[in-house]
Amino acid sequence: MARAVGITLRKLRKQYGPVVAVNDLDLEIAAGEFVSLLGPSGCGKTTTLRMLAGLDFPTSGTISFGERVVNDLAPAKRDVAMVFQSYALYPHMTVGENIAYPLKKRGVPKAEQPARVGAVARLLQLEPFLSRKPRHLSGGQQQRVALGRALVRDPEIFLLDEPLSNLDAKLRAHMRTELIELHRKIGKTMVYVTHDQLEAMTMSSRIAVMRGGDLQQFATPIEIYQRPANTFVADFIGTPAMTLLDADLRAQDGHGEVMFGPVSIPLPDNLVNQRRGGTPVKLGIRPEDVLIAENDGFPGTVKVIEPTGHENIVLFSLHNHNITGRVPAQVHLEVGQPVRISFRSARLHLFDRETGLRLS
Amino acid sequence: MTRSNIWTKPLVSLVVWLIVLIVVFPLIWMVLTSVKPQSELFRIPATFWPTRITFEHYQTLLNETLFLKYLRNSIILSTSTTLLVIVVAVLGAFSLTRFAYRGRERIALLVLTTYLLPSVVLVLPLYLMMVRVGIANSLFSLVVAYTTFALPYALWLLRSFMSSMPEELEWAALVDGASRLGAFFDVILPQAIPGIISTALFTFIVTWNEYFYALILVNTDEARPLTTGVITMLVTSFNIEWSLLMAAAVAMSLPLIIIFVFLQGYLVKGFATAGVKG
Amino acid sequence: MSPSLKLPSSSGGQHDPAKEDRLDLTTMPPVIGMSAVGVGQIRKPSWGVSLPTQYSLIGVLLIAPAVLIFALVIAYPLAEAIYLSFFSIYTPTLQGEWVGLANYRAMLSTREFWAALGTNIVWTIGTLVLQVVIGVAIALLLNLNFYFRSLARSLILFPYFVSTVVAVLVWRWMFNDTYGILNRALVVSGLSDMPLDWLGAMPNAMISIILVGAWKYFPFVVIAVLARLQTIPEELYEAARIDGANVWSRFWDVTLPQLREVLIVIVLLRTIWDFKEFDLIYLLTGGGPIAATQTLPLLVYKQAFGMNAMGMASTYAIGIMVVLVTFMVLYLQRTRRGSELQ
Repeated sequence: MARAVGITLRKLRKQYGPVVAVNDLDLEIAAGEFVSLLGPSGCGKTTTLRMLAGLDFPTSGTISFGERVVNDLAPAKRDVAMVFQSYALYPHMTVGENIAYPLKKRGVPKAEQPARVGAVARLLQLEPFLSRKPRHLSGGQQQRVALGRALVRDPEIFLLDEPLSNLDAKLRAHMRTELIELHRKIGKTMVYVTHDQLEAMTMSSRIAVMRGGDLQQFATPIEIYQRPANTFVADFIGTPAMTLLDADLRAQDGHGEVMFGPVSIPLPDNLVNQRRGGTPVKLGIRPEDVLIAENDGFPGTVKVIEPTGHENIVLFSLHNHNITGRVPAQVHLEVGQPVRISFRSARLHLFDRETGLRLS
Repeated sequence: MTRSNIWTKPLVSLVVWLIVLIVVFPLIWMVLTSVKPQSELFRIPATFWPTRITFEHYQTLLNETLFLKYLRNSIILSTSTTLLVIVVAVLGAFSLTRFAYRGRERIALLVLTTYLLPSVVLVLPLYLMMVRVGIANSLFSLVVAYTTFALPYALWLLRSFMSSMPEELEWAALVDGASRLGAFFDVILPQAIPGIISTALFTFIVTWNEYFYALILVNTDEARPLTTGVITMLVTSFNIEWSLLMAAAVAMSLPLIIIFVFLQGYLVKGFATAGVKG
Repeated sequence: MSPSLKLPSSSGGQHDPAKEDRLDLTTMPPVIGMSAVGVGQIRKPSWGVSLPTQYSLIGVLLIAPAVLIFALVIAYPLAEAIYLSFFSIYTPTLQGEWVGLANYRAMLSTREFWAALGTNIVWTIGTLVLQVVIGVAIALLLNLNFYFRSLARSLILFPYFVSTVVAVLVWRWMFNDTYGILNRALVVSGLSDMPLDWLGAMPNAMISIILVGAWKYFPFVVIAVLARLQTIPEELYEAARIDGANVWSRFWDVTLPQLREVLIVIVLLRTIWDFKEFDLIYLLTGGGPIAATQTLPLLVYKQAFGMNAMGMASTYAIGIMVVLVTFMVLYLQRTRRGSELQ
């Protein structure tokens, strides 16, 4: 059985003339990890994946699988498997031939092929379709064939390029859990490209958030959620999105507070050590850290209510600032209703207003 | 047009089909003439429909003229040229669409411009070249000459077809373990078959119909294709036998008719693709 | 029922071990691949050349046959044609001597050249206009809904795909003074007492070749225009109709602008091809009566094989090319400027 292998990217750069698609990316992926490359379109995640596969060539920098530098290895020689967003199934071959193709190319004896194809087909419940052509299959079935084609080779590394984005929402959710199970079972290194933060969060051991070719943060989902490295990551991860406000830090006698407008929130000491007074920051508040207070708190109004079933997403207005919060459905609110709002100050996020970087 | 008049479709059909018949009339007339007995041609007043259908002219054509020899030459010529051009053009189109190298765009542009070169410019030096190499007056010399106009167009057509194929298929094959040539044969070629058939049919017809190069480069009956051969028949006879000539014209058009009956979908698709892109 | 990967659940539950859909990778023989290569080995690239360069080399190799053929049968003859134009060559013996620019001077000073150029222009414009107008009109008709539409669309292509030889044979038969159907129809219908000499007198001859040229080549316009027409969204017409546009202004304001690009290409291609047309005119009139329909390509042929002056013929051929290139450059400039204004 092929062992799992880690991936190291060192100063990986891809440039098209003046346009930098991937900017000196440094990434170390451990063997057997499930890493997502997450970001909006144009952030360089797909380009990076293609370079990992050998379908695109770096302008500079190295790609290593384990100890091996693979820059100049053709895709065929890299022992990676890839699942494409459009599945890229060979239309003129049957499902069985599609799955067998990698075996054929690697010189697996003809006698052995049916067994291996059969094992994969059984695993993915594709047996009834083996002699059909891809165009006669549904989207979900085609996706499983693409997976099967990747699995049958037992490669060291799996590359997946937004494989679920062409499926409807329900199927997508289902396939997410199945992919998680699959990874747990076979334990190979997987690199998963997506723009959907929910996919990245639920499936990955670590997430690499990218934007405009630059790596924003590479950490576990929890860490990215609880300690985003900059305002971009903070805003990108989490639904509903974090509220980001311009504010100022003030430190007085060792006690700090953050102020926007007339609102002044005292901060626990660990959040505001040695900050000079008046530092301009961006204050980040996750919706679940917004609380409706009985007596204390700040005076605000309810602006918009979006019921989602088990809770309401409420847009509050606090001294002309809009703050998004989550309120359990049982709490009855009306638009225009005055409420008192308070915050879990220990969970507030502070970012430098100019650089967007996290302050801690 | 969302006019819900019940008379629209029949009326339009009438008008359009009238026009189509007028356009096609010469060809219909050609067929009619070829099956009329000789005497009817010169009857006054003229008859439109044949009173009696005869195939005697076709028999004369096959038995008493060199038509079969010319036919044989045309078949060999068109088939060889098409095969050669298709092979070279398929590889070339693959190169132009799936590879990157310096000068690639310049080559593509060159292909386009050579397509517009007048054959009058090339024919005289080609004639000299054939004489020098010693293949003047042969079918082979025609194959060489015909590639001057067949290859650019085939390349342009095939390039069009291939660039509209999704890249991911080739990528999947490469990742699955294929070499670039392996991916070409396993994945790209099967997908390109409709385009290749289109182009091949087109090339065949164009080489089948060529007159000018055949006129200048070949003047023995041994190597004459149908186009110049039939004109020779017209010129050398004292009495221009129109019925015979019409039979020859119909017979010459046989490949075209066969292609149209069975394969015209391919032809139109290929034509529209490259014709529109110019 | 959502399809799923049936992986054995680790949290227990009913499953029969014997029937378990287990992808047990440990019992599968390893694929012959990189797993055989140990860790710690750095693979040197084949030939010491980077991957993108390897690919580029393959690409170059694949285009090489085409490029070679081009060089051999197009580039070299083209260069030689220019070279030949500086010689005076006696065609039967292919012997020649250098004359420098004498051929060019001779060409530009003979009336025959300028007459042929004029004839060429008349022929080209005449047949081009007909081809485009008829082609667009018929394309519009074929875009409508009617019975047996695809059959009609196929039949309309026949003139284009039939050999020029066949076209000429049938038209000469139809033009025949005594027995040709056109003259018979003329006489029978009483439109004329005398049969017309379609090909042997002017201006008949020029009109005849223009007509036959239009007949032969208009389907090219039809196909290209029809393909484009079929991509024009119906909503544009509906919006125009709601705005109160009638048939003519719908054509002028919606259809024509959409056709602009394709028509530019069509006019360019057809002008070039009609200008250099040899087969049709040579076989219909041979250039007659008395050089009245002698266009430049026919003149080249006459110089090479009638006057046995191959060098001169090449000069004329170069002349044709210069005219065409000039036209193409001016034309593209003008139309590019037009597109920028759009």
